[in-house]
Amino acid sequence: MNLDLPKNGYSRKLAYVILAIAALFVLRLFYLQIIKHSYYVDQARAIQERRFVLPAQRGEIYALDGESPVKLVMNQTVYTVFADPKTITQKDEIIETLREVAGGNLRQGFADLLDQTDTRYQVLGTKLTTTQRDKIKAKNYYGIGFQAVSQRVYPEGKLASQVLGFVNAEGTGAYGIEGYMNERLKGEDGLLQSVADVRDVPLTIGKNNIRIEPQNGDDLVLSIDRNIQSKVEQAILAGVDRTGAPQISALVMNPNTGRVMAMANYPSYNPAEFYKVRDAAIFNNNTISVPYEPGSTIKAFTMATAIDKNVAHATDTYNNTDYITVGDRTISNASKGRTGLITFQTAMEWSLNTGFVTIAQRLGDGRNINRTARDTMYDYFYNRFRLGQATGVELSNEAYGSIISPQSSMGNEVRYSNMSFGQGMESTMLQVAAGFSSAVNGGTYYQPSVVAGVLKGGEIESTKPEVKQAGLIAGSTSRELVGMLQQARRSSFPGADKPGYIVGGKTGTSQVIRNGAYSEAETIASYVGFGGSDRPEYVIMIQVAGKDRVWQGSRDAMPIFTDISNWMIDYLKLRPKG
Amino acid sequence: MSYQPTTYYTSRRQQNWSRNQNTTRFVSAVKLGPVAHTILVALMITVLGLIYLTQATRTTGYDYAAQKIDSQIAELNEERADLQIENARLTALETVKNSAVAKEMTTPASTEFVE
Repeated sequence: MNLDLPKNGYSRKLAYVILAIAALFVLRLFYLQIIKHSYYVDQARAIQERRFVLPAQRGEIYALDGESPVKLVMNQTVYTVFADPKTITQKDEIIETLREVAGGNLRQGFADLLDQTDTRYQVLGTKLTTTQRDKIKAKNYYGIGFQAVSQRVYPEGKLASQVLGFVNAEGTGAYGIEGYMNERLKGEDGLLQSVADVRDVPLTIGKNNIRIEPQNGDDLVLSIDRNIQSKVEQAILAGVDRTGAPQISALVMNPNTGRVMAMANYPSYNPAEFYKVRDAAIFNNNTISVPYEPGSTIKAFTMATAIDKNVAHATDTYNNTDYITVGDRTISNASKGRTGLITFQTAMEWSLNTGFVTIAQRLGDGRNINRTARDTMYDYFYNRFRLGQATGVELSNEAYGSIISPQSSMGNEVRYSNMSFGQGMESTMLQVAAGFSSAVNGGTYYQPSVVAGVLKGGEIESTKPEVKQAGLIAGSTSRELVGMLQQARRSSFPGADKPGYIVGGKTGTSQVIRNGAYSEAETIASYVGFGGSDRPEYVIMIQVAGKDRVWQGSRDAMPIFTDISNWMIDYLKLRPKG
Repeated sequence: MSYQPTTYYTSRRQQNWSRNQNTTRFVSAVKLGPVAHTILVALMITVLGLIYLTQATRTTGYDYAAQKIDSQIAELNEERADLQIENARLTALETVKNSAVAKEMTTPASTEFVE
């Protein structure tokens, strides 16, 4: 194309000017589009692209009803209704509608909040259901909005609350299985990075869109059976009514798998209203979190050690004088009068401390609880029955307890004489019940567990019971111990149990240390026992406690065991022996 | 502005006319100048741009539809969760225990195992 412009004419000059301006544009565009390309692309991306979190759904928690899973903890989306007081136009109508639709969910004095026109955000009510939200939304009020919040719902109410724990306001699991399994339950949030329009609707245009799907948390199935749990909680409440005790705890476990079937405490709380609890100690599951001196329940362990080491058996005898001297201390029986040559079976039935101190001596040279005796007791108590060690149960805040080693200067003869009847050592109820289970099941220690498996596609993927140690005592030792405990129960509490079943156990009444010395005015009552048809099918442990009161194992704890035990026989449909 | 006529390409066959062959050929009377060409190219670019924009807008339209469906799915999931909760509450142990049927139940005096 050839333009014939007159030389030195205005047209030619104009053309040069236009050309120069065009060149400036080109240069400027080159600078903006080529040189500053990355900068402006980043700017545009920052404005256009949004990162949306795709929230993972927290795993639900199930209990068992026999073999079937039933929901204990579920998720529900609820709504917070808020207002922008500066922009609302139908104040009176809004107040009326909110009162009518969501009366129970509104904040106190919510109507006054609408008058605070110097603010832009006022929460009027919380935890509205979808139906309530829809009814309010249908009115199309200007300046009213909703925010979705996920919350935990407990269809079974307070059942097993201290096993479950709760999810706090930050969305983190606290206490119980919620606390221990928080990582598995919470899952992993997904991500959607996308260009979005002004209403934040993600659009598929753009080359940098990312979508990472959320990984929902595991749906856990607990080994807790809701029927047994409910029965145990009822039995505890009946025990509270009967004894007036301010604290009662109980647990039921399967001695042949280590699975915990029920675990309950009084007082308890409603996990849906955890924020109303004023004393945080109530969140604790005392069966795992509060170690104590278990008292005479430990005599079962001392006896198992003696039988296994072949130093004493049920029919062996010793001379009971109701008192026995160890070092500079004299230990007496709580129940006196059965003096003379008596069997260890009698010592078990009457829970005579002298008999079990004698056993401790026989584990040594027969007269002293020497280093050999102490090493043997430590080996059985700590290494084999795992007393004084955290069990590793899948619940948060599990305590260790303590068994003083004979290597320590504190692990002397006097301490080990006390340990032979369950004083001078600390363990949790679960430790005692798990160790007791291994003593009566033939000598296999199963890892105590509250998790039966994971629910996937409506089916339970079961986890196998884990054997921590097999053969920790001989099978014959276990059988002899079962017989002794059965006889001890039968002679002390005749007619308490359904006939035709093997039911045995051991009481415990332990002193507690107050102001550095054992108190005469306060004790803790315990009972640990088993029941079954041909072999122990369940182990139950009970603890009754309360400040400045004397609680007795046989009077206060044992009846709760009996109540649960007789019910368990029916529930498990155990057949009586001929 | 002068204009140089186009030099038409003539094939060899056309140059060597055979006997009795038609000797005329069609030449369009419409001549396109450079401005017309520029305008046509600009128009074509505009049309292509419009086609692109139409497609992009249509994709965005699908995004809105997808968003709407996602919202519906979320709403339905919420409804399903609410129903499941209601179901769980209705079958909860306390509810069952307090039901009229349960209240009519009694503990058997004795039980026997059938061989």
